[in-house]
Amino acid sequence: MEHVSQTNEPLIQLTVDRVVEDSTTDTRIVVLTRTDGASEHFMVWVGASEGEAIRRALDTSTTPRPMSHDLIKSFGEHLGIKMERVVLTDVKSSTYYATVFLENKGVARTIDSRPSDAIALALRCQAPIYVTQDVWKRRSGQNLDAWLSKLETKNIGAQEV
Amino acid sequence: MITQMQVKGLMFDPYNNAYIVILRDDDQSEMLPIWVGKSEASSISLAIENVAPPRPMTHDFMKSYLDAFNAKVISVVITDLSEHTYFAKVHLTYADSEYTVDSRPSDAIALALRSQAPIFASESVIRKQSSEELDQWLENLKPEDFGKLDS
Repeated sequence: MEHVSQTNEPLIQLTVDRVVEDSTTDTRIVVLTRTDGASEHFMVWVGASEGEAIRRALDTSTTPRPMSHDLIKSFGEHLGIKMERVVLTDVKSSTYYATVFLENKGVARTIDSRPSDAIALALRCQAPIYVTQDVWKRRSGQNLDAWLSKLETKNIGAQEV
Repeated sequence: MITQMQVKGLMFDPYNNAYIVILRDDDQSEMLPIWVGKSEASSISLAIENVAPPRPMTHDFMKSYLDAFNAKVISVVITDLSEHTYFAKVHLTYADSEYTVDSRPSDAIALALRSQAPIFASESVIRKQSSEELDQWLENLKPEDFGKLDS
Protein backbone atom coordinates (compact mmCIF):
# COMPACT_ATOMS: atom_id res chain seq x y z
CA MET A 1 0.00 0.00 0.00
CA GLU A 2 1.24 3.44 -0.91
CA HIS A 3 1.60 6.15 1.63
CA VAL A 4 2.88 9.63 1.08
CA SER A 5 4.41 9.78 4.50
CA GLN A 6 4.99 6.97 6.95
CA THR A 7 5.23 8.81 10.20
CA ASN A 8 4.23 7.94 13.70
CA GLU A 9 2.24 11.10 14.17
CA PRO A 10 -1.08 10.35 15.82
CA LEU A 11 -4.15 10.19 13.59
CA ILE A 12 -6.85 12.82 13.95
CA GLN A 13 -10.31 11.45 14.65
CA LEU A 14 -13.18 12.96 12.68
CA THR A 15 -16.94 12.77 12.91
CA VAL A 16 -19.42 13.47 10.12
CA ASP A 17 -21.21 16.71 10.91
CA ARG A 18 -23.52 17.03 7.91
CA VAL A 19 -23.95 16.53 4.18
CA VAL A 20 -24.46 19.71 2.18
CA GLU A 21 -26.05 19.82 -1.25
CA ASP A 22 -24.18 21.71 -3.94
CA SER A 23 -27.09 22.10 -6.33
CA THR A 24 -25.02 23.86 -8.99
CA THR A 25 -22.92 20.77 -9.67
CA ASP A 26 -25.24 17.99 -8.41
CA THR A 27 -22.58 16.92 -5.92
CA ARG A 28 -22.63 16.67 -2.15
CA ILE A 29 -20.12 17.99 0.35
CA VAL A 30 -19.50 15.79 3.36
CA VAL A 31 -18.50 18.08 6.24
CA LEU A 32 -16.45 16.40 8.97
CA THR A 33 -15.32 17.95 12.25
CA ARG A 34 -12.55 16.97 14.68
CA THR A 35 -13.61 15.06 17.76
CA ASP A 36 -10.99 16.98 19.80
CA GLY A 37 -13.09 20.12 19.47
CA ALA A 38 -10.84 22.07 17.09
CA SER A 39 -13.04 24.29 15.00
CA GLU A 40 -11.69 23.66 11.50
CA HIS A 41 -13.66 21.49 9.09
CA PHE A 42 -12.63 18.73 6.73
CA MET A 43 -14.69 18.59 3.55
CA VAL A 44 -14.95 15.84 0.98
CA TRP A 45 -16.79 16.30 -2.31
CA VAL A 46 -18.75 13.21 -3.33
CA GLY A 47 -21.32 12.26 -5.96
CA ALA A 48 -25.05 12.74 -5.34
CA SER A 49 -25.88 9.08 -4.71
CA GLU A 50 -22.78 8.60 -2.50
CA GLY A 51 -23.74 11.71 -0.53
CA GLU A 52 -27.27 10.43 -0.06
CA ALA A 53 -25.89 7.08 1.19
CA ILE A 54 -24.02 9.02 3.91
CA ARG A 55 -26.98 11.27 4.68
CA ARG A 56 -29.24 8.23 5.15
CA ALA A 57 -26.80 6.79 7.69
CA LEU A 58 -26.81 10.09 9.61
CA ASP A 59 -30.55 10.56 10.00
CA THR A 60 -31.07 6.92 11.08
CA SER A 61 -34.37 6.85 9.23
CA THR A 62 -34.51 3.31 7.97
CA THR A 63 -35.03 2.97 4.24
CA PRO A 64 -37.67 0.41 3.24
CA ARG A 65 -35.06 -1.55 1.30
CA PRO A 66 -31.43 -2.29 2.26
CA MET A 67 -29.19 -0.06 0.16
CA SER A 68 -25.71 -1.04 -1.12
CA HIS A 69 -23.81 -0.14 2.06
CA ASP A 70 -26.46 -1.85 4.20
CA LEU A 71 -25.78 -4.98 2.14
CA ILE A 72 -22.02 -4.72 2.84
CA LYS A 73 -22.81 -4.32 6.55
CA SER A 74 -25.09 -7.36 6.31
CA PHE A 75 -22.28 -9.40 4.68
CA GLY A 76 -20.07 -8.41 7.61
CA GLU A 77 -22.68 -9.49 10.17
CA HIS A 78 -23.20 -12.86 8.46
CA LEU A 79 -19.49 -13.60 7.97
CA GLY A 80 -18.33 -12.12 11.29
CA ILE A 81 -16.21 -9.39 9.70
CA LYS A 82 -15.69 -6.42 12.00
CA MET A 83 -14.97 -2.93 10.72
CA GLU A 84 -12.20 -1.52 12.91
CA ARG A 85 -11.66 1.92 11.46
CA VAL A 86 -11.39 4.09 8.37
CA VAL A 87 -8.35 6.24 7.65
CA LEU A 88 -8.19 8.98 5.03
CA THR A 89 -4.66 8.23 3.93
CA ASP A 90 -3.82 10.33 0.92
CA VAL A 91 -4.81 13.24 -1.28
CA LYS A 92 -3.72 13.70 -4.91
CA SER A 93 -5.04 16.45 -7.17
CA SER A 94 -7.82 17.19 -4.66
CA THR A 95 -8.90 13.52 -4.68
CA TYR A 96 -8.90 11.76 -1.33
CA TYR A 97 -8.01 8.11 -0.79
CA ALA A 98 -9.18 5.99 2.12
CA THR A 99 -8.22 2.68 3.70
CA VAL A 100 -10.74 0.47 5.46
CA PHE A 101 -9.39 -1.73 8.29
CA LEU A 102 -11.25 -5.01 8.76
CA GLU A 103 -10.79 -7.88 11.17
CA ASN A 104 -12.19 -11.39 11.47
CA LYS A 105 -11.12 -13.98 14.03
CA GLY A 106 -7.72 -12.36 14.49
CA VAL A 107 -7.12 -11.93 10.76
CA ALA A 108 -6.64 -8.28 9.81
CA ARG A 109 -7.18 -7.03 6.27
CA THR A 110 -7.14 -3.58 4.67
CA ILE A 111 -8.89 -2.46 1.52
CA ASP A 112 -8.45 0.69 -0.53
CA SER A 113 -11.62 2.67 -0.95
CA ARG A 114 -13.17 5.92 -2.02
CA PRO A 115 -13.80 8.08 1.08
CA SER A 116 -17.54 8.04 0.31
CA ASP A 117 -17.82 4.23 0.55
CA ALA A 118 -15.54 4.11 3.60
CA ILE A 119 -17.54 6.80 5.44
CA ALA A 120 -20.95 5.36 4.44
CA LEU A 121 -19.93 1.96 5.81
CA ALA A 122 -18.18 3.35 8.93
CA LEU A 123 -21.32 5.22 10.00
CA ARG A 124 -23.41 2.05 9.64
CA CYS A 125 -20.89 -0.02 11.61
CA GLN A 126 -20.15 2.64 14.29
CA ALA A 127 -16.48 2.51 13.26
CA PRO A 128 -14.25 5.54 13.92
CA ILE A 129 -13.04 7.74 11.05
CA TYR A 130 -9.49 9.13 11.09
CA VAL A 131 -7.33 11.34 8.91
CA THR A 132 -3.53 11.38 8.86
CA GLN A 133 -1.80 14.58 10.00
CA ASP A 134 -0.36 14.94 6.50
CA VAL A 135 -3.76 14.74 4.75
CA TRP A 136 -5.28 17.05 7.35
CA LYS A 137 -2.63 19.68 6.58
CA ARG A 138 -3.21 19.34 2.85
CA ARG A 139 -7.02 19.40 3.03
CA SER A 140 -8.96 21.54 0.60
CA GLY A 141 -11.56 24.05 1.60
CA GLN A 142 -9.55 25.51 4.47
CA ASN A 143 -10.85 28.94 3.65
CA LEU A 144 -14.23 27.76 2.51
CA ASP A 145 -16.18 27.99 5.74
CA ALA A 146 -17.68 31.32 4.71
CA TRP A 147 -18.49 29.99 1.26
CA LEU A 148 -20.10 26.91 2.78
CA SER A 149 -22.38 28.90 5.06
CA LYS A 150 -23.37 31.05 2.07
CA LEU A 151 -24.17 27.89 0.07
CA GLU A 152 -26.32 26.55 2.89
CA THR A 153 -28.18 29.86 3.21
CA LYS A 154 -28.78 29.84 -0.52
CA ASN A 155 -30.14 26.30 -0.35
CA ILE A 156 -32.53 27.23 2.42
CA GLY A 157 -33.68 30.18 0.34
CA ALA A 158 -34.23 27.95 -2.67
CA GLN A 159 -36.37 25.55 -0.66
CA GLU A 160 -38.69 28.37 0.38
CA VAL A 161 -39.46 29.33 -3.21
CA MET B 1 -37.33 -24.61 -9.38
CA ILE B 2 -35.02 -21.83 -10.46
CA THR B 3 -34.10 -20.71 -13.98
CA GLN B 4 -30.75 -19.28 -14.93
CA MET B 5 -31.01 -15.78 -16.39
CA GLN B 6 -28.59 -13.65 -18.41
CA VAL B 7 -28.39 -9.88 -18.32
CA LYS B 8 -29.47 -8.89 -21.83
CA GLY B 9 -29.20 -5.17 -21.43
CA LEU B 10 -30.33 -1.92 -19.90
CA MET B 11 -33.13 0.34 -21.09
CA PHE B 12 -34.15 3.82 -20.03
CA ASP B 13 -37.78 4.15 -18.93
CA PRO B 14 -38.72 7.81 -19.55
CA TYR B 15 -42.15 7.41 -17.86
CA ASN B 16 -40.58 6.55 -14.49
CA ASN B 17 -37.23 8.30 -15.08
CA ALA B 18 -35.56 5.00 -14.16
CA TYR B 19 -33.65 2.22 -15.84
CA ILE B 20 -34.77 -1.32 -16.61
CA VAL B 21 -32.39 -4.27 -16.43
CA ILE B 22 -33.57 -6.96 -18.83
CA LEU B 23 -32.95 -10.54 -17.76
CA ARG B 24 -33.68 -13.42 -20.16
CA ASP B 25 -33.42 -17.15 -19.73
CA ASP B 26 -31.21 -19.24 -22.00
CA ASP B 27 -34.14 -20.39 -24.21
CA GLN B 28 -35.21 -16.77 -24.67
CA SER B 29 -38.68 -17.82 -23.56
CA GLU B 30 -38.89 -15.84 -20.29
CA MET B 31 -38.04 -12.23 -19.64
CA LEU B 32 -37.74 -10.32 -16.37
CA PRO B 33 -37.67 -6.51 -16.49
CA ILE B 34 -36.28 -5.07 -13.24
CA TRP B 35 -36.52 -1.35 -12.54
CA VAL B 36 -33.40 0.14 -10.93
CA GLY B 37 -32.12 3.61 -10.03
CA LYS B 38 -29.61 5.64 -12.02
CA SER B 39 -26.51 4.89 -9.96
CA GLU B 40 -27.34 1.15 -9.78
CA ALA B 41 -27.86 1.14 -13.56
CA SER B 42 -24.51 2.80 -14.19
CA SER B 43 -22.79 0.27 -11.91
CA ILE B 44 -24.43 -2.64 -13.80
CA SER B 45 -23.58 -1.02 -17.13
CA LEU B 46 -19.87 -0.71 -16.22
CA ALA B 47 -19.82 -4.41 -15.30
CA ILE B 48 -21.59 -5.48 -18.54
CA GLU B 49 -19.16 -3.48 -20.66
CA ASN B 50 -16.25 -4.63 -18.51
CA VAL B 51 -15.05 -1.07 -18.05
CA ALA B 52 -12.85 -0.26 -15.06
CA PRO B 53 -13.83 3.21 -13.80
CA PRO B 54 -11.01 5.54 -12.68
CA ARG B 55 -12.10 4.94 -9.08
CA PRO B 56 -13.73 1.77 -7.74
CA MET B 57 -17.53 2.03 -7.55
CA THR B 58 -19.50 0.88 -4.50
CA HIS B 59 -19.96 -2.62 -5.97
CA ASP B 60 -16.22 -2.87 -6.68
CA PHE B 61 -15.68 -1.94 -3.03
CA MET B 62 -18.21 -4.62 -2.05
CA LYS B 63 -16.27 -7.18 -4.11
CA SER B 64 -12.94 -6.09 -2.53
CA TYR B 65 -14.55 -6.43 0.90
CA LEU B 66 -15.50 -10.07 0.19
CA ASP B 67 -12.21 -10.81 -1.64
CA ALA B 68 -10.21 -9.59 1.37
CA PHE B 69 -11.46 -12.61 3.33
CA ASN B 70 -11.77 -15.02 0.38
CA ALA B 71 -15.56 -15.00 0.63
CA LYS B 72 -17.00 -16.07 -2.73
CA VAL B 73 -20.32 -15.23 -4.36
CA ILE B 74 -21.72 -18.59 -5.57
CA SER B 75 -24.94 -17.34 -7.12
CA VAL B 76 -27.68 -14.77 -6.77
CA VAL B 77 -31.38 -15.56 -6.96
CA ILE B 78 -34.28 -13.22 -7.71
CA THR B 79 -36.62 -14.83 -5.19
CA ASP B 80 -39.83 -12.88 -4.96
CA LEU B 81 -41.97 -10.19 -6.49
CA SER B 82 -44.46 -8.24 -4.43
CA GLU B 83 -46.21 -5.02 -5.44
CA HIS B 84 -43.79 -4.37 -8.32
CA THR B 85 -40.78 -4.83 -6.00
CA TYR B 86 -38.34 -7.65 -6.57
CA PHE B 87 -36.41 -9.37 -3.78
CA ALA B 88 -33.12 -11.21 -4.14
CA LYS B 89 -30.71 -13.36 -2.19
CA VAL B 90 -26.92 -13.55 -2.48
CA HIS B 91 -25.40 -16.98 -1.81
CA LEU B 92 -21.83 -16.96 -0.50
CA THR B 93 -19.24 -19.42 0.70
CA TYR B 94 -16.75 -18.42 3.35
CA ALA B 95 -14.44 -20.63 5.40
CA ASP B 96 -16.24 -23.84 4.28
CA SER B 97 -19.66 -22.52 5.28
CA GLU B 98 -22.52 -21.25 3.14
CA TYR B 99 -24.37 -18.01 3.79
CA THR B 100 -27.50 -16.45 2.29
CA VAL B 101 -27.97 -12.69 2.51
CA ASP B 102 -31.06 -10.65 1.50
CA SER B 103 -30.41 -8.00 -1.12
CA ARG B 104 -32.01 -5.70 -3.63
CA PRO B 105 -31.86 -7.26 -7.12
CA SER B 106 -29.76 -4.31 -8.39
CA ASP B 107 -27.00 -4.95 -5.82
CA ALA B 108 -27.20 -8.71 -6.38
CA ILE B 109 -26.88 -8.35 -10.17
CA ALA B 110 -24.09 -5.75 -9.98
CA LEU B 111 -22.16 -8.04 -7.61
CA ALA B 112 -22.85 -11.24 -9.61
CA LEU B 113 -21.52 -9.64 -12.81
CA ARG B 114 -18.28 -8.67 -11.03
CA SER B 115 -17.93 -12.13 -9.45
CA GLN B 116 -18.72 -14.19 -12.57
CA ALA B 117 -21.54 -15.75 -10.53
CA PRO B 118 -24.73 -17.05 -12.19
CA ILE B 119 -28.03 -15.19 -11.78
CA PHE B 120 -31.21 -17.23 -11.24
CA ALA B 121 -34.89 -16.39 -10.96
CA SER B 122 -37.36 -18.48 -9.00
CA GLU B 123 -40.30 -19.96 -10.88
CA SER B 124 -42.80 -17.99 -8.82
CA VAL B 125 -41.13 -14.68 -9.80
CA ILE B 126 -41.34 -15.54 -13.48
CA ARG B 127 -45.00 -16.57 -13.11
CA LYS B 128 -46.00 -13.50 -11.06
CA GLN B 129 -44.03 -11.22 -13.31
CA SER B 130 -46.16 -11.98 -16.36
CA SER B 131 -49.36 -10.98 -14.56
CA GLU B 132 -47.93 -8.00 -12.64
CA GLU B 133 -46.26 -6.72 -15.76
CA LEU B 134 -49.61 -6.70 -17.55
CA ASP B 135 -51.18 -4.77 -14.66
CA GLN B 136 -48.39 -2.23 -14.70
CA TRP B 137 -48.59 -1.88 -18.44
CA LEU B 138 -52.33 -1.24 -18.25
CA GLU B 139 -51.81 1.30 -15.44
CA ASN B 140 -49.26 3.18 -17.48
CA LEU B 141 -51.50 3.42 -20.53
CA LYS B 142 -52.61 6.92 -21.31
CA PRO B 143 -55.49 8.05 -23.53
CA GLU B 144 -53.06 9.01 -26.27
CA ASP B 145 -51.66 5.47 -26.32
CA PHE B 146 -55.07 4.25 -27.46
CA GLY B 147 -55.13 6.91 -30.14
CA LYS B 148 -52.10 5.32 -31.77
CA LEU B 149 -54.23 2.35 -32.79
CA ASP B 150 -56.15 4.54 -35.24
CA SER B 151 -53.11 5.62 -37.15
